[in-house]
Amino acid sequence: MVLEEEIPKFSAWIGPALLWYLFAGSLIVVIVAALAWLVQSTLYGPLVAGDRVYRGLLAGLGDCAGISLRRIWALSRLAIQESLRRNVLVVLGLFALIVLFAGWFLDPTSVNPGKLYLGFMLTATSLLVCLVTLVLSVFSLPADIRSKAIQTVVTKPVRSAEIVLGRMIGFSIVGTVLLALMGTTGWAFIVRSVNHRHEIAAEDVLENRADDGTTAGWEGRTSFDRGHRHRIDLKPDGSGRTDSTQGHRHDVRAVTAGDATTSRPIAYAVGSPVGLLESRKPLRGTLRFLDRGGRPSTKGISVGAEWSYRQYIEGGTLAAAIWTFDGIAEREFANGLPLEMIVRVFRTHKGEIEKGITGSVRVRNPISGLQSDPFYFTAKEFTIDAINIPRTLAVTSVDGGTRQVDLFTDIVAAGRVEVILQCLQPAQYYGIAQADFYLRAGNGSFAINYAKSCLGIWFSMLLVTAIGVMFSTFLAGPVALLATLSILLIGQFREFIQRLFESQVTGDATIAPGGGPIESLYRIVTQTSITLDLDPTVAVQSIKTIDTFLLAPMRLGAGIFPSLSALGTADFLAGGFDIPLDLLAENGMETLGYLLAFFVAGAFCLKAREVAS
Amino acid sequence: MHAGTSEKKDSHASNLRDVVVEARNLSKTYRDFWGRSKKVALKPLDLEIRRGEIFGLLGPNGSGKTTTLKLLLGLIFPTSGEALVFGRDATDVSKNERIGYLPEESYLYKFLDAEETLDFYGRLFGLPPQERKRRGDALIKMVGLDRDKKRQLKEYSKGMTRRIGVAQALINDPELVLLDEPTSGLDPIGTREMKDLIIDLKQRGKTVILCSHLLADVEDVCDRIAVLHQGELKELGRVADLLRVTGVTQIRVNGLPTQAHDEIRALLTRYGGEDIEFGNPTTTLEELFLEVVRDTEARPGRRARSIAVGAGSQTNGPADAPRHD
Repeated sequence: MVLEEEIPKFSAWIGPALLWYLFAGSLIVVIVAALAWLVQSTLYGPLVAGDRVYRGLLAGLGDCAGISLRRIWALSRLAIQESLRRNVLVVLGLFALIVLFAGWFLDPTSVNPGKLYLGFMLTATSLLVCLVTLVLSVFSLPADIRSKAIQTVVTKPVRSAEIVLGRMIGFSIVGTVLLALMGTTGWAFIVRSVNHRHEIAAEDVLENRADDGTTAGWEGRTSFDRGHRHRIDLKPDGSGRTDSTQGHRHDVRAVTAGDATTSRPIAYAVGSPVGLLESRKPLRGTLRFLDRGGRPSTKGISVGAEWSYRQYIEGGTLAAAIWTFDGIAEREFANGLPLEMIVRVFRTHKGEIEKGITGSVRVRNPISGLQSDPFYFTAKEFTIDAINIPRTLAVTSVDGGTRQVDLFTDIVAAGRVEVILQCLQPAQYYGIAQADFYLRAGNGSFAINYAKSCLGIWFSMLLVTAIGVMFSTFLAGPVALLATLSILLIGQFREFIQRLFESQVTGDATIAPGGGPIESLYRIVTQTSITLDLDPTVAVQSIKTIDTFLLAPMRLGAGIFPSLSALGTADFLAGGFDIPLDLLAENGMETLGYLLAFFVAGAFCLKAREVAS
Repeated sequence: MHAGTSEKKDSHASNLRDVVVEARNLSKTYRDFWGRSKKVALKPLDLEIRRGEIFGLLGPNGSGKTTTLKLLLGLIFPTSGEALVFGRDATDVSKNERIGYLPEESYLYKFLDAEETLDFYGRLFGLPPQERKRRGDALIKMVGLDRDKKRQLKEYSKGMTRRIGVAQALINDPELVLLDEPTSGLDPIGTREMKDLIIDLKQRGKTVILCSHLLADVEDVCDRIAVLHQGELKELGRVADLLRVTGVTQIRVNGLPTQAHDEIRALLTRYGGEDIEFGNPTTTLEELFLEVVRDTEARPGRRARSIAVGAGSQTNGPADAPRHD
């Protein structure tokens, strides 16, 4: 899972953010009032315009003060009734169809079926819920205005803010119910779909004998089910687990007729998959590097990838990646440090392609420099490698002697420990990012984590509804639909648009090659690659100038509009990580901020509008 | 002197209290997107409507009467002047607490049934559940939709929609009722019931403003009328005063034998009377229709009595046309 930026503590940013929000909101009110005054001035003169704007602001404040929860609920109920009478629940049938298709066509033999099922179901749920609430929200108010039913409502003591809020809440309730039903169905479907068992035939298991002839354990393989099988490795007492394939393992227990240590197993009990649907609670550290000469460095090596999320360390040299973990408490890690890592491999030569690239991990006292002997592992792509650093560690001193030390007494200093990763094979590279190494501090409930992920979809649904209702206060249904989609699209690609604008203004094509919309069209028509510079002809200069003007409002929008994908937390869920509460709180506050802004804008637009003209 | 001034002030204040609706220099011009004048819907209008009167806005289609109503309701904003309702600006939402409005075509939510409709509008007035139920039931009964209260409005006929429209306009027991073409779409019985309702509202102390181009309806119920044409106020006053034909005297007598006509004519001529006419008054077609319906309901299967009497009747039909002696 990619985690480009550390998730900040909620308490660290909420105070200043609220202040900024209030400041920006006040600024927008002042700008809107000034614009309204300018427009009114051209029609009625400056004095009347001033009076109208003043009255408008007073009326707006009065509306805020006079908002009635009872009326809002009445209008919300109306929105719900409208949705139900328009057979919105039909979408559940559509969802059932999608689930059926998923059951038929999703490949349970894929590399990580849990991720596949989760990704598919969450995407389908998100799309359907957002689409339904989008359609409901953009067409409802315009339909009322067209049918003039709104006239009977606004001649009751109803404020425009109540109409807007009532609709937002009503459609959000519909979306919430749909999301709850789809989410629950999806969860049951995923759990049932990925759950599977293997059989172990007696002839597939061989006994390992020690030099003294006693049983050292059992080795073998499971049956081939769902496109995979596992290797098993059992201890002499008959307990053990399989290796990790398709992102999961199984616990295995040998069933014997008599004493487990002396009798040969007559059968094997294989447990449910472990690791497919998990909710790991990681404790992450900070990352620094040593270069190939062993000198400290803030960065690793770039292997030429366009995306610089991961840095690389060279194998067979002194290059290392060092993580520093803080807050290591003995009571939480009494059995040692459960280290998990996602290591990418970059090969400069093929080597033995079937085998992974060997590496080592050591733990070190950050103060005394005392470090353990290395733990060796083989990095496998696309799986999470796990090493348990035990309480008792072997340490080799300079003279070659080995002694045992205690992890918490000798290595962890003031709750801090360093973990050093090295690639051991020359001319091969390990690619790592800060978030790729963590200590597994605990396990959360997958069901709760799934619910948290649905909360991300819920935030998106609320935003879609609010934007739809806001636009429907002054646009016709189809236009409101397009406007909402545009906002969401710009929000979705906001980083790209920001880079594009920067590239356009600075003239640096490497930031975002290909140019703005007109230049892109020109390149398509003339079949010119985006990597080629265009000849600076008058036409090309004109195109670039027009693009700059077109990109300016898009850049502004990209800085303001919300990104639904930024609210999504499906990556955490699919990656098997607990969704941090700080992230949820951040997304929740962002959603709330947008909701408030869209609500105010919608109420203002409806109030300023003559609903009967 | 001092007492006189105080009296005047009191009278003025009471006058102000009595004014329910006031239009001051109220005008409306519809503009296009660029702010250019598209249509002058209402030229500057000054108007006062007092508590307890039935006020009619009359005029042909496009004369500005509905625009005036919309301005009073705050549905559209004036280009100039101001509209005050209960002394507050027409765009002030709080005035709506005391207002009932029946739009031209009962713009209601078709997916609700009658009960849900009244419950919804009752909620908008913040009525408690029991009160909503009580008023809703009473109004549904009053407008005669008892048997159809569970049907969605999309299944209603135009007359039924009108009736539920009236019910929603009265859900808050309003002090001021604005009715836009209240008898439109109603059959003669419904029309009469509507007119009776309007008069009943007046008797209960309500103020009613109605706009219509059905002159007979307006004449039957209105105390005062304003006649609008091309967005301009053309006539304003009491119906009786406006319709009074000065210089002509009308005498109605019951049971006068025909022989007396000559003597009376002579007497009238002696006093300088001219163009003297004798005849029997006619009833209205509405009265005739209602009598037929009432009679048929009282004696099902028979021909209505008045029609059975036929041409011999002295109160109905073309045979009752005035005779000129």
